[in-house]
Formats: sequence, C-alpha cells, structure tokens
Amino acid sequence: MKDADVKNLTDIVGADWIITDLEQKSAYFYDEIERALRPVANEQSIVVKPKNTEELSAIMAYAYEQEIPVVIRGGGTGLCGGATPVVESLILSMERFKKIIQIDEDNMMAELEAGVTLRELLDELEGHKGIAFPVHPGDEGAQIGGMVTTNAGGARAVRHGIMRNHIKGLEVVLPDGEVLKLGGRLLKDNAGYSLMNLLTGSEGTLAAITKVILRLYPEDKYSATLAIAFADMDQASAAVLEIIKSGVSPLAVEYQDKKLNLETAAYLGLHWPLDEGEADLMIILSERSEAALYLACEQIEAICRKHQAVKAVYAGTKKEQAELLMIRSGSYEIIQELIAHNLDMAVPPARVPEFMRGLRKLAEKYGTRTNIVAHIADGNVHNDILLEDGKIPAFTPDLLKEMYELCFQLGGTITGEHGVGKLRLADLKLQKNNRELELMKQIKKIFDPKGILNPGTVVQIDGCNKN
Amino acid sequence: MNVIVLIKEVPDMDTVRFDTENGRVDRSSAEAEINPFDLNALQAAVELKEQGATVTVLTMGPPRAEKTVRDAYARGADLGVLLSDSKFGGADTWATSVTLAAGIKKLGAFDLVLCGEKSVDGDTAQVGAEIAEILGIPHAYYVEHIQNVSKDSIQVRVEDICGSKQVRELTLPALISVTKNLNTVQLPEIRRKLLSLNVPITKFGLEDMAGHTSQEQVGLKGSKTKVLKIYVPAEIQRNNRIYRDHFNQFQKNVWAELCKRNLLPNRGDQHEII
Amino acid sequence: MKSSENLLVFAECNKEGIHPVAFELLAKGKELCEKSGSALHCLVLGNQDTEILDLQELNIRGADEVFYIKDDCFTWAEECLYKENIVPFIRERNPHTVLFGATNFGRSLAPRVAAALQTGLTADCTNLTMDEDGRLIQIRPAFSNNILAHIKTLSYPQIATIRYKEFQEAERDEAREAKLTVLEAYRKAYEGATVLESLREQEFDITKAEVVVSGGRGIKRKEDLQMLQELAELLGGELGVSRALVDGGMISSAHQIGYSGNRVKPKVYIACGISGAPQHIAGMKDADLIIAINKDPSAPIFKFADYGYVGNLYEVIPQMISGIKNGVQGGEFG
Repeated sequence: MKDADVKNLTDIVGADWIITDLEQKSAYFYDEIERALRPVANEQSIVVKPKNTEELSAIMAYAYEQEIPVVIRGGGTGLCGGATPVVESLILSMERFKKIIQIDEDNMMAELEAGVTLRELLDELEGHKGIAFPVHPGDEGAQIGGMVTTNAGGARAVRHGIMRNHIKGLEVVLPDGEVLKLGGRLLKDNAGYSLMNLLTGSEGTLAAITKVILRLYPEDKYSATLAIAFADMDQASAAVLEIIKSGVSPLAVEYQDKKLNLETAAYLGLHWPLDEGEADLMIILSERSEAALYLACEQIEAICRKHQAVKAVYAGTKKEQAELLMIRSGSYEIIQELIAHNLDMAVPPARVPEFMRGLRKLAEKYGTRTNIVAHIADGNVHNDILLEDGKIPAFTPDLLKEMYELCFQLGGTITGEHGVGKLRLADLKLQKNNRELELMKQIKKIFDPKGILNPGTVVQIDGCNKN
Repeated sequence: MNVIVLIKEVPDMDTVRFDTENGRVDRSSAEAEINPFDLNALQAAVELKEQGATVTVLTMGPPRAEKTVRDAYARGADLGVLLSDSKFGGADTWATSVTLAAGIKKLGAFDLVLCGEKSVDGDTAQVGAEIAEILGIPHAYYVEHIQNVSKDSIQVRVEDICGSKQVRELTLPALISVTKNLNTVQLPEIRRKLLSLNVPITKFGLEDMAGHTSQEQVGLKGSKTKVLKIYVPAEIQRNNRIYRDHFNQFQKNVWAELCKRNLLPNRGDQHEII
Repeated sequence: MKSSENLLVFAECNKEGIHPVAFELLAKGKELCEKSGSALHCLVLGNQDTEILDLQELNIRGADEVFYIKDDCFTWAEECLYKENIVPFIRERNPHTVLFGATNFGRSLAPRVAAALQTGLTADCTNLTMDEDGRLIQIRPAFSNNILAHIKTLSYPQIATIRYKEFQEAERDEAREAKLTVLEAYRKAYEGATVLESLREQEFDITKAEVVVSGGRGIKRKEDLQMLQELAELLGGELGVSRALVDGGMISSAHQIGYSGNRVKPKVYIACGISGAPQHIAGMKDADLIIAINKDPSAPIFKFADYGYVGNLYEVIPQMISGIKNGVQGGEFG
C-alpha cells in the first residue's frame, strides 16, 4: 500500500482505526477454513475500520478511484476463504457497525447495523420476551452482515429455511461509494427485480452491506431433543422424509456417523445414548406449547417405530439437550487436524442414503475413509477427505472430482451453505453451464465495473487484479 | 425387592437467577427438574430392576411436583408417589425427614431406600441419614459402587471416609446415598416419556398418613431450625485482568502474585520481579 | 433444654492423625465459649494409643477437656456405630452445642446423631455466631453457594457441621493443662453395617492443597495432564481436573474439582482449558487467587479470574514451566 493511500485513508477513519503492522493485521487475514485449504493472504493488505456508512462510503469511493481491491470482513467465521485478501487489498472490517437500531415488536422486524454479531442480537432479544430470530449457523460470533452476504444456513434451516428467507431490507454501499437502500419493513414488496435477493449470498463481491432489516418470529418455549438409532441409513432417511411429510416441523434433523458420536462423547467426557444400530439421528423440536411438543414426539416416535428404529430416547432438560448438541457440534474438533478437504455438498433429501453410500464407496476405492455429518432433512452433507501421514494425499483432486460427479448425478450442488468463496471458484465451473457463469460475470461487472470487490471470489473477472 | 428412590424437585441451577437486592431466589426464572444428584440414585434403582426390583419414587412437594414424579416414571420408575399437603409447607430438613419417613412407612414393606448425594438447592445432604435413623435402619453415604445385592444384604463401596474408601455390607432394609460416580444416567425412551404423561400418580396428604405422623411433627410446626434471613452474598471482586497477546505482561503479573505468596521454587532467593 | 455449660467439638481422626478441621473448630469453639462462658470439650473415637494419636494437641489448641472413647471396634470409621456411642455421650454431658467438621464422614454422621437426639442440624456452615441468649446463629450457603442463610436451632443441643478451611486453625498454647478422659465404648458393635474392607488408596486429598493447577476439556489426551502436574509440582501444589476429564476416564475422581467433587480453597488456583461451568465454579470460586488460561475469550471462567490469558494452553503452560525453571536459574523473571 502506498504511503499516500495510508495517509488518505487515515484522514477518513482516524489513526486509531487503521492497522498496518503485520503482526496486528494478520489476525484479519483468514476465516475458519481448515489450514490446509487456506488461500494465501497477501500480507501487504491493510485493515481499515470505518465507524459508519458515511466513512465506509468515503473509503469505497477512494478505493474505486484508486482501483484498490476491497475485502469486507465480518466475524471471520466463514468456511470458504471468502474473507482472505489474495491480492493486496484494503480489509474493511465491519466490527464498529455495532448498533441495534430497533427491535420493532409491532412489525416483528429488527433493524441492525451489519457488524452486530448473532450473539449480540440474541442477547438483545432476551430482553424482548417471546421474540426470536431463528437462523443459527453454529458460530454466534458471525456478524449479521456476513450472514446476509453468505446467505448463511445451519442446522435449523429445516423449519425456518436459510438466511434469505428472513431478510426484508438492506442498506448497501456500491463500489463507487454510492449508498443504496433496498426493501424495507415490508412483508410484500414486488417492485421490480429483487436486487436485495441478488446481494444476499453475493459473498462481498457486489456491494458492502451496512444495515439489515430482519424478520422476527414468536419464540418457541418448549423444546426437546430426540436421539434415534436405526438399523441402517435407508431406514433413517425414509423416517426423516416421512416425518417432514407428516407435518411435524422439527427445528433440526442431524445425522452424524456413530463413530464420530462415540469418539466425541468420549473426548468430551459425555455419554452418547445410542450404542445400538448403524445410523443415528438427532431431532431438535421446538414448539409453542407443551401439548404441541408431545404431539410432535408422538408422531415422530410412531414413524420411527414403523421404520424399525432400534432405540429412541428423549432429552428434555436444558442440560441433557445441550450435551447431545455438544457431541454433535464438538466432533469437528476431533477431526479438524486430520482433514485435507471438507465438503459441503447438497442433494435432494430423498437421495441422501444413495449419496452417502456412494461417498463411502468412493473413499474405499481410494483406500481411505470419509467422515459424514449431515443436515439430513435439507439434503446437506458434510464429508471430508482425510490427510495421510499429515499430508494431503495425491489422489485428492481425483477423489474430489468423483465425489462431485456423484453429487451432480443425483441432482446436487457443490455447496449447500458454505458458499463458493475462493475455495470453490474453479469447482463452480463443473456445476454451472457457460451461459449461467457468463450472466454472473455480467452482473458482477454492472455492480463493480473495475472489479475492486473481493477479487477471486465466486466469479473471476478482469479487473484490478494486481496479482 | 422393593426399592424406594427419594427425589426432590429443584430449579435448573444453570439458569436460575438470584435477586441480590431482596435476597430471593427467583424460581420463576428457571424450569423445575429432578435434582441432578437424584438421577444417579434413580438410575441405580432402575438397574436393579434386572434383578426383579420394583422401583417406587417418593417426593414431598407442592402439587406441581407431580411433573417431576412423572419424569421419574419416564426414566424407569414403576410407581410414583407425591406427598403433598399445605401442612407440609415450611419444613426444615428434620420435618422433611419425618414426613418422608412416614411416607415410606405408609407404603409398607421395603428393602432399600436410595437417594442422591445432596440437593442442588438445599445442599444439606442430611435428609437421607435422618430418615435412616427414624426408620432404624443402617445407612451409607457417598456410595460409588454397588455390588452383591442379595435378599437380605447389600455390599457397597463408599468414597473417602476418613481418608480411605471402604467396602461395607449393610443388612436390608437399608438406605444408601449415591455419588455421581456410581453410574451414567441414561435418557428416557421417547415411548416411556409419552406414557409418563398420563400414568396415575399416588398422592398422600397428611390425613392419608395418619398413624405414621401428625400435624405437630411436619411442616413449619415440626421444624427444629428456623431461617432468620437469607441473602445473596456479594461476589468476591476479582482483578479480572485478561491478556491476549502480551504473554510477558501476563506472566510478570502472575509471577509477582506467586512470589507474594512464597510459592515460587527456591523461595529464599532474591528475585527481581518487575 | 440447655442445661450444661459446655460446647462439644467432634474431632475426626485416622491413622495419619487428627483431621485439621478439628483445630479450626476449636478456634471457633473457643470464641463461642468465651461469649457464652462455657467449657470447650472435645470428643474423639478411635483405637490407637493416646500418644500416637497425639490427643494432647487438642488441649494445646484450646480444648478444656478431651474425651477419648477407645476401642478396637473403631478401627474403621462407620457412622452407625459411631452414632451409637456419641449419642449416649451427649446425653450424659449435655453440651448446648455440638460441632462436626463437614467432611464426608462428618456429613454422614452428624444427621444420624441429630436425628437420634431429635434435634435440629445445620449442615455445611461457613460461619457461626452467638446471639445474646446464647443461641447459635449458623450461617450456611445454599443453592450451590449462591445464597447465604442465617439459621437458628430451636432445640438442644444445637448441632452443626462446618466446612473445612473456613476458619484459621486455633493457635497452640503449650502451657495449657492437658485434661484427657479415656472412656469405654458404650456399644462395640452395630449389627446393620459391617466394614468388610478399607482401601487405603485415597490418601491424596486435594482439599488440603495450597496450589491447585486444574485441567478441563481443553486437555486433549491423558498424557497431556503431565504438563499440568509438572507446573503444579513446581509450585508445590496438586493437580485438579474438571468433571469432564473424570468422566472421560483420564483420572480418578479424587482430583475432581466442582460442586459434585471436591470443593477447594487454595491460595492459588490455575484453571487451564476449563470453560467454567457453574458446577465447576462452585468448587473453586473461593480460592484466594484465580488464574485462567483458555483459548476462548468468552469462556465464563474469565469472569471469575484475577488474571486471565486468552491462548492455547499447549503453548502457554510450557512457557510458564520454563519461565519458572529459568527464572530460578537466572534469578530473574519476566
């Protein structure tokens, strides 16, 4: 970065809010992607922390004029390298956009600045009895703006869908610095193309998000977590499909390999209740009344019995539920250091058993194994390619390609919720046809003609790629 | 074999709030549940069902505690009994022990009474031994292992009594209080949970227990101790200096504190601290 | 009813001697006796010779009279038999107050004695005072240590168990006159309970440690506890753990710190990779100084810490260990 740029940017945000020291700024280079998969950060990049839309707009206008790449950084909890600057960039950290503008109880909407974290939103809602926000990508350090720009998913999508379903309005800053307001506190808004939906999931490549209006929902007070073991995956999957069809609406339906469940439980000093069977499901229920909760349990129990579940247990207290969830979410820590590649494919829900079988067979073919966890009712499967002797095995690209091919055969996608980022830039071409990719590039060029926003993410266009 | 498990309904201690100003426990802030320590006692009883035991859970509490009794049924108890009467209100541990002992007598013949190490709300851990004394049966506390249960005796291993573990044999009937190390609490089966919602629960009031106890012996009247006041103590104020990247700074401060307490090795030496 | 003018302290002992909580009870007992003008008595049950057990130490620490019920039936402590002997003793001597240490044995024995005497008991007290009428005000925590209650006993004797390490040990006064009465056992057997075996493996007692270095879920393998053990040893302390590691089979529950486990009150508590669940906090929050190391800056343990470091314990602990070692050699820290 040129001295003049640093000086001009300092004039905008003040000396306290710009970081040029390598040791300090390196904390802003990466997201939560596995070390082995990290794109290499350009260490010349610097960090700027605007305090509001005006400052952000001024920075953006300056960067646009000078053709300096800009990478917008939220909570850094992404899993596809989206937040890493691969060319010399301005890292625009949103950490000062902390204001919760209003919890509008009448319209059941929340208006927030983009840097508010999910945890902060949930804490705020604690003070508004009976109101909740349902999307939960797992890491509560995620910022709302980041959740919008990545169209976050998570386990609770079964009932509530993904982030996109809950975004009602945005304030964004375009690459040239102009501020745009999209949508509003509206449940119906059919005026023209929905740019708001286009920006949702655009991974910081089209505009910077500064404010968000989210829809809120009545809180469900009664919850339970069911753990159910089936003889095999086909039975488990058939039960899940039937549960969804029956009208029961679980918050989450999670699958995890039994091996992972048992190992994680042992590591955490907890107890996994299902020792029998081959396929373990965890179903989280959340209802407005106790009667509704038990009715859902009854329906699920009957369906699972029909599909020959071998064991079905009920966790009712907060602690019991939390412990089961810890086993489900703690597994990553056990396998983290063993992973060469982590996948996020999704297939139509009914194809899941076939898909899992195929993935296992492929791993076997290459003389390895694959760990599988899945948001099974969504058809979203996370599996991995394992390191061998601590190294990325040479067959990784071939195995990955075969796994993708299997996914496409079943009508699937290479990423269900993590996004393309920098990790899957090349892979996207395997899934999308040329015309679709070309349209994406055209759209990118319309928003960002000089290509300053998050270069190397989602689509590659010619621009100020100073590599 | 008739096994009685004593349980208590307590608020969930992870969420219950304390009103510092008025010295009150805000019970509405948390869900009521079975005292976590009692779950190990219940689990032990349910495991004895394999040897033909019948398990009865017994609790004293307000009518809403029926829910807790149902939960115990879901977790494997065969019968649930709730001792509930406005006259039981305000009982200290002694009056509680008298009431529960009367409930046990009312139920008739029994072989074993099981209870948890302590309750998370009262923390007293004294009701078990008091009941054993009232019933005139042997007791053992801090049981971490149960072995050799026969028709008229039970062998248990107790934790840390005067510095050692002991294996004891108790003649039945007896009362044992178990620790969390005894077993792993299992989750109830969904089916049994659903059944528990409608299972009949036995309720005894003071009149039902006539002949075993009286109004003078229970509740506030029967209590031998009186709570004068309750307050929420101020938390110890901690320094709360949290470091992140400056390890040396952290270490320097810690060393200084350790030195102040003469805890660093070679403590006679002169060390330069800062 | 209150008829005598003495206060009784029960002193628990084993082959290693008298449990130090007895000396703390004597300190408190002396203070209460001065207020009420009563004599301080001490009761011991055991089978050892008086010299070996060093009962004189109880006089030196303030007991006006020590009573020793000596018999081989007390080789192994068992509450029911102890109760059978303590109850008639109390009936004879009529103390207005009886204090037990809230050790495992004391917690099990005291309610049995109180019930036999049909009197009130206040368990696990952390302080005692006396009002103008000579009534004991017993202060005890409840709700997992979150509230404090002041409790009065309406009957006599007033019985309480007192937590270990709440009071300073009574000061020694070697000039005090020794007064020891050895008594015959009132009853030599209790048919309902027999000790078959005493397993002397549990000599390790973490509640006595001055420094505790504890590990929690942040510890990945059993071998890694060695590192904490080393740090503990360098500081003259002991290794503690949170419940998860006991459940995970890494170590015996004698090392477990928490509400279910051991409650410790050391000079320094170093929590490594412990998030600070309420269950654990209840077992260590009274430590004089608390140091926490955790990689998660939002871990609740930091709220209870005097000093905290956000970082990987696998990097921090070895640095601390070498820091201590090098500091000693080089004569300089930091």
